[in-house]
Amino acid sequence: MTDETRGPALHRDDELTEHLRALTAPPADPAYWDGLHARILARVAQGREEGEWWAVSERTYRVGLMAAGLTLIVAGSLWMRARAIETRMAYESQIETPADVQPVFARRGLFDDDRPGAHPTPGPR
Amino acid sequence: MTTMVLPWTPTTVRMVPDRPADERELILAAQRGEEAAFGTLVLRHQRRAYTVARAIVLNHEDAEDAVQEGFLHAYRALERFRPDQAFGAWLHRIVANAALDITRRRKVRDADELPETVASHFRDPAETAELRRRLAAALAELPARQRAVITLHDVEGFRHAEIGQMLGIPEGTARSDLHYARSHLRQLLGALRSDV
Repeated sequence: MTDETRGPALHRDDELTEHLRALTAPPADPAYWDGLHARILARVAQGREEGEWWAVSERTYRVGLMAAGLTLIVAGSLWMRARAIETRMAYESQIETPADVQPVFARRGLFDDDRPGAHPTPGPR
Repeated sequence: MTTMVLPWTPTTVRMVPDRPADERELILAAQRGEEAAFGTLVLRHQRRAYTVARAIVLNHEDAEDAVQEGFLHAYRALERFRPDQAFGAWLHRIVANAALDITRRRKVRDADELPETVASHFRDPAETAELRRRLAAALAELPARQRAVITLHDVEGFRHAEIGQMLGIPEGTARSDLHYARSHLRQLLGALRSDV
């Protein structure tokens, strides 16, 4: 018993096979096959032209992709540079505070409890 | 007495004999871009490719489309083909995929319309014609894969392993598909015999 006949009820029905063969029979006319051969080669030739067109397009696509990549890198580095400058300027603006602001903090505490006299010191006994 | 040869009468198809050594040379030449070599490969394999496609699709026109698409795909993929492989098996897989694509694109919506399309090429005596028309209708109702498996196995003589490879399914699935398709069609044929 081969693999082809193993399994339940896998017997070929000759009449069914005959009908199937008739339904799916390839054309018998030799001229048909000559014609099909010509049509296949024509289709392949047409496909080859399309392929060549796509090949050019693909080269263009690759160049475009490289250009886009370079643009992205340049734009990214510019953005990072601009951000570094902004950060440095913000930092410098914080540490270079104007001089007339300081006395206000000196005279008044930041909290009410820090005001002079808010905590009376006990007098001498 | 005149003998009328109908274009769709099943006859023994003249097959181009397999010549593996020669075929390898043809493949190498085709890979180098020699169009004549590819043309010879087409001539050699087009009939078998047609039978593979015809087993999957429901009519002759779709089978021819699948064959053309299959050869085009094969041409485009030829440089990736290793000449030590079996060219026929590789090509059949490509053609089967093209045929399955066509089947997917043309989902049958009107089940009544299709059998006429399928049977339109056959001009047999009334009883047989009716039987085949209804069998064609039943065949059209089968899932494409089961239809392909029963035709490729019973009519074309491919083995389960070859069918599995061709359709991209395990061998066991091909076997169970064949079992289901046979029992379904045999059941129908039994009913038809009592009707017709």
